[in-house]
Amino acid sequence: MKLGDVRQRSAVSLAVIIVATIVALLIAPTTRNGVAIAIALDVAVACLATLTFPGLRSSHPVVARAALSLLGVVAVLFVAFFLPSASDFNLATGAAMSIVLLGLSFLTGASGQISLGNSAFMGVGAFTMAIWANHHATTPIFVTLLISVVAGALVGLLLGLPATRLRGPYLAGMTLAFAVAFTAILGEFSSWTGGDSGLQLPTEAKPPHWLISLFHSGTSPLTTSTLWLTDISIVVAGVAFFFMANLFASRTGRAMRLIRDNDVAAELVGISLPRARVIAFVVSSAYAALGGALWTLIDNSVSPPTYSFALSVTILSLIVIGGIGTISGALIGGVIYAYSTNVISWIVNQTGLNPQGNFASQLNGIIFGGLLILTMLFAPLGIAGAVRHFWHRARNRS
Amino acid sequence: MDAFLTSRIIADVLGGLTNGVIYGMVALSLVLIWRSTGVLNFAQGAMPMFATYVGFALLSYHFGYWLCAVAALIVGLAVGGLTERLVVRGLYGKPEINPIVVMVGFLIVLEAVAAAIWSSFPRSLPSPFSSIDWQLGGHPVSLSPFTVYEIGAAIVVMLAVAALFRFTNLGLQLRASALAPEVSRLLGVRVGRLLTLGWMLSTAVGVVTTILVSSNFFTGLTPQVNDGIFAFGFIAAAVGGLESPVGAIVAGVSLGIILQFVQDYLNSNAQIIVALVVLIVALMVRPNGVFTKSSLRRV
Amino acid sequence: MVKSTTRRVTISGTALLLCLGLVTAGSSIVSAGAAVKKTPGVTAKQITIGATEPETGIAASGYNQVAKAADAVFKYVNARGGIYGRKIKYVIKDDCYGTPGFGCTGVPNTATQTHSLLGLPVFATVGSLGTPTQDTVRALLKGDDVPQLFVASGSQDWNNPHQYPGLFGWQPSYNEESKIFAKYIKATFPSANVCFLGQGDDFGTDGLAGLIAGGVTPSDEQLYSVGALVTSNGASIAPYIQRFETDKCTIVVLDSIPGATDAALGAALQLGYSPQWVISSVGSDPQTVDAPFVGKVPTDPEQGAITFSYLPTTTTSSPWIPWIYKVIKADPADFPGFTSSSVLNGNIAYGAAYGVAFVEALKATGKNLTRAAFLHTLQTTVFSQTPSLVPLSYTNSNHQGLNGGYLTTVISDSATKPITGTVYTTDSSSTGPVTVAKKLSSGIPAWLK
Repeated sequence: MKLGDVRQRSAVSLAVIIVATIVALLIAPTTRNGVAIAIALDVAVACLATLTFPGLRSSHPVVARAALSLLGVVAVLFVAFFLPSASDFNLATGAAMSIVLLGLSFLTGASGQISLGNSAFMGVGAFTMAIWANHHATTPIFVTLLISVVAGALVGLLLGLPATRLRGPYLAGMTLAFAVAFTAILGEFSSWTGGDSGLQLPTEAKPPHWLISLFHSGTSPLTTSTLWLTDISIVVAGVAFFFMANLFASRTGRAMRLIRDNDVAAELVGISLPRARVIAFVVSSAYAALGGALWTLIDNSVSPPTYSFALSVTILSLIVIGGIGTISGALIGGVIYAYSTNVISWIVNQTGLNPQGNFASQLNGIIFGGLLILTMLFAPLGIAGAVRHFWHRARNRS
Repeated sequence: MDAFLTSRIIADVLGGLTNGVIYGMVALSLVLIWRSTGVLNFAQGAMPMFATYVGFALLSYHFGYWLCAVAALIVGLAVGGLTERLVVRGLYGKPEINPIVVMVGFLIVLEAVAAAIWSSFPRSLPSPFSSIDWQLGGHPVSLSPFTVYEIGAAIVVMLAVAALFRFTNLGLQLRASALAPEVSRLLGVRVGRLLTLGWMLSTAVGVVTTILVSSNFFTGLTPQVNDGIFAFGFIAAAVGGLESPVGAIVAGVSLGIILQFVQDYLNSNAQIIVALVVLIVALMVRPNGVFTKSSLRRV
Repeated sequence: MVKSTTRRVTISGTALLLCLGLVTAGSSIVSAGAAVKKTPGVTAKQITIGATEPETGIAASGYNQVAKAADAVFKYVNARGGIYGRKIKYVIKDDCYGTPGFGCTGVPNTATQTHSLLGLPVFATVGSLGTPTQDTVRALLKGDDVPQLFVASGSQDWNNPHQYPGLFGWQPSYNEESKIFAKYIKATFPSANVCFLGQGDDFGTDGLAGLIAGGVTPSDEQLYSVGALVTSNGASIAPYIQRFETDKCTIVVLDSIPGATDAALGAALQLGYSPQWVISSVGSDPQTVDAPFVGKVPTDPEQGAITFSYLPTTTTSSPWIPWIYKVIKADPADFPGFTSSSVLNGNIAYGAAYGVAFVEALKATGKNLTRAAFLHTLQTTVFSQTPSLVPLSYTNSNHQGLNGGYLTTVISDSATKPITGTVYTTDSSSTGPVTVAKKLSSGIPAWLK
């Protein structure tokens, strides 16, 4: 790589950033939702330009990942702005789910442990959020989210410690038992958890004033809490993905993958197996708790039957279909979760089935379960894995 | 001890025994499949449920209870065999998570298809024996003709399977095929056939369980009838050790009795919590199950 | 080459983003003044309403017929030209009673389904079912100014006009029903040993409070959890009945859904225990409750149980009964194979009754249909020609709904019969007395016949 080329390309990138900022400032006063859109565009362009800095990926991978995450977040926020409220709601739910999938992808794919207990960890986060908000209504949202994450991590530690000695089916069995017992535990403490009815958040989440003032006209679209909550979910998801990407690439991540592939070799190299397993467990439960807390925020309420074992199965299915052990798999799984009902209603409409009939109401399960079986039999690395496979084959051919 | 307390204890033991033999059978089916094919069958509840639905669909053609039960058993054998051949065959030798996920998917599909065809409305199966408890001195004794039938049928099935495994040539071949398939093949054992047989047997045991559970008075047959039982059966199998049929039965029965006392003296919710605690304690002491002999493997 | 590809991608990407921005800016300016104020869900030809119902799952048995019966009423009215030329479109979404599980794999929760209804948009939600499910969407519907009408539940959560002006219940509250039960128990079984089993939410706690307020304090009070009921296939109810048998209770009051009623009746049968059952209208419909026992025991275990009804029973001569039969038979899509000899069970009667209430309210509002006008009509009109025994009326300080009914006994696996036929009325306070209702409903309005 010639030095002249590097300087030329850096100059071009910098110039692009400056031009974009000027254009954004020009657009801002004339649009209805001016400043916010201008900022969004500017950030997006800056990220793109940053990514093209030569050698960034190899010399400053963290910065590259940050730029990519930020770009993704801004793009999705932009799209969410123009979607109808129902779609935004689905998007928010899907974003929260993708965080949970990320945790499980790490645990199972990167460290080879099977956990069926993620629904319970989601529930821990969800209920922590609700219980805390009901007792301390003035805590800022992000602080409450953090508290829920810590709660999830603690419970993950509690369960992860005995789990380190267990192999395959026994670990699956213990996490299964935990997931099934979780709803019963919630029932035992019904004075805290609201029993069968669950809990509601005391106030609806509203965006802060300084954010609303970034929009010009009187009826700011951000005053609908759905969009605000969607934005929170997307931003939190972006942060979660950023951390996970770094974790995957770090020494800890590499150690985990070694354990998954060959635990004897890992021990020989000096990696402490129990410690690594517990770390993986704690990380996955923290992520699951974050997803659950977001769900409570989005729904403005929490109810025990949501966090049953069947949810764990859904989570496992989604990450398997998306691609276990990958980050993009978690994204794909989240998208599937967000929009699967829409797709299925569309299918029901097209085929002329009676929407209230037996068959239509079970179509979700049939398609879901069928996809799971087919994916595991023919494409065990999921959609992400299959895409990667075809990409490599195409590359090798040319 | 006064009479009331004694009768309460006896009632709990009998009630617990009734549930325990069911858990024991579920645990036994899981162990059967694990020992013969190394797969953890999450659809262990759903496959027999489906077979029972098919078998008892004959009720509308005025077939009697026993004929329908036999039909359900035959369908169960077929379902088990077909599942092994078509679905599970491709999974041997793959990472552990693959068969688990496939069986979970199978569970979802079976429950959804059953609900699509027959709806989730509980179906009442006729009981061949009365479910009304016998009374002793004005107090019900937690034992009725039906529970005697239930316990009896379960014990017969469990003993038969255990005997098959331990004492017959077929059982020997089953265990050999699982442990050392190549060597067994060289010795003339039809390994493939035996793997299929393992699944068929396990599903048949599951059908017996399902019929007993759904002939119960007020619950009836629904697509989810085996879900709760599966969780307890799984815990029993893990506590007893997935390698040990005897362990499965003992753990299942003990768990049933313990949980009945828990339900009586605490409440229903506490049952699964206690089961979880039992599991954690058991696995911390013996991570491969209480009855597993970790050193020697006998063929 | 890789380098130039990256540059090309960057430049084209940037250009694309800039174009997007300009287009957005342009369209924002153009569309700024375009919004017209119209009532959502109402056009010249159609009114769209929605509801979330348990179409699948534990609560579905029986309850999935409720909204379909209302739909049959709407179809009947549509076939006769609709209301002021507008046909009613009723969009029903499945929320699995808010208890997602294997029986409802992938079924979205109530919040998601409600959001999708709001996106249609709907004029109001009518008859959505469930206490916890509807509690979770109260704030959402209020925030979008969507009326939440005739919630299918007897909780007092729907009677909160100050905080939720668009939220209305319909059936008598659990509290009111229990007070009327208490009056009857005190008069007929003055020295009985009474035990109570209720659901572990509003249903049980409000019901118990009403019993006590009416003067009957149970010697043993228990609450069951719906979650445990589902996972144990009903076995979780047996210990409570065992306790009652040990306590030697002669009267057992049940505030339970049909699945729990079944479990209680079955447990008692097994123990050879036969108290006088007093069962809430929510879980006493004979056809639903007796289904698991048919063919297994000589007599229906619910026979002789006392229950409460705010709609005319099929054994009386109310003109609404043949009318409902007519309407249901005319809707084979929702009720395939329904004939004059089919059973008109409590679920169907319930749905038909609130369906009639809704169309009458629409008619009374007039041709100019806005949400404000509709809510005003609802709170200032007394509807005395609906299927319910007492007239339906709301005020701007009371959104509960019906407040009276009579006591009935179960006489077979498909019907109940009034005990005396006297209709009682009361309120949900702990001190309001139970009195004989002076004004009763008076027949079918001419335009509906």
